[in-house]
Amino acid sequence: MALLLKDNGFNAFVIRGGLAAWRKAGLPLESVPLADMVKLPTFS
Amino acid sequence: MTDLLSLAIRHGYLLIFVVVLAESLGLPLPASLALIAGGAATAAHALHAPAVLLLAVAAMMIGDTATFTLGRHAGWALLGFLCRLSINPETCILRSAESFYKRGKITLLFAKFVPGINAMAPPLAGSMKMRPGQFLRFDLAGVSLYVGAYFTVGFIFRDFLATITRGFTTVRNIMGVILLAALAIYLVYRIWTYKKTPHNLVPRVAIEELALRIRAEDENLLIADVRSHGYYDAAAERIKGSIRIEPNNFSAEIKALPKEKDIYLYCT
Repeated sequence: MALLLKDNGFNAFVIRGGLAAWRKAGLPLESVPLADMVKLPTFS
Repeated sequence: MTDLLSLAIRHGYLLIFVVVLAESLGLPLPASLALIAGGAATAAHALHAPAVLLLAVAAMMIGDTATFTLGRHAGWALLGFLCRLSINPETCILRSAESFYKRGKITLLFAKFVPGINAMAPPLAGSMKMRPGQFLRFDLAGVSLYVGAYFTVGFIFRDFLATITRGFTTVRNIMGVILLAALAIYLVYRIWTYKKTPHNLVPRVAIEELALRIRAEDENLLIADVRSHGYYDAAAERIKGSIRIEPNNFSAEIKALPKEKDIYLYCT
């Protein structure tokens, strides 16, 4: 994904360790908003 | 083709089952040719149509269900592995994903006929958390169409195929050289594109460094969640303040992204 963004002219970086490392460091999290959940394909 | 037809007559049922299963698992084997050979062998009364059709459908359903299940758990990790033989692995995934976004579950009805999407559709459906019952119904319909179509081609055009294969036999050596040359060119191209692409191009950032920028209220950054299926649980969490970039809808999503900001991506 990051390479694709860079190919499209964006300044892209990757967070080392991802969400797991973020959670382990005790940094703030939030619940996924309903609006973002609704965007996903449901196949209904 | 002649050799495949001979093999179909001698080891018909096993060959068809193995080749069709292998293709559905992502291996580069010609299931369509095996089905055509099966149809031709059936027309020659060497095999029985119900057995050929049932075995082919069963083999493909087994393979598709396996990759669907793996895709459900492995997400894009599996998709990337399956696309590895493609000339462009990234667009290989995105092309299949775009088809699902545009056409939804109907994709499964015709995916088998489209190179590049045929092996990707079941694991992608699993990655997108399609309901198993729904997947089985649509995949069964698509598999039946695919198996029936190529079997019928082989059955109806048996005599025509025999004429072609006789002609093919006379130029077999030339075709063999051409195929070997094409394979060699393909391998050289893959090695060249691999060496040309720098694989450490994307900088990796420690979370402490990013956390410092956030605490300093730096507005020139954006954090983006690019998990392939992390949002399908009601209790899903994400980094506070991050946005979602749906990898399966990439070409549409990037239109809304700001080019002046640093974008930090994360997965699970």
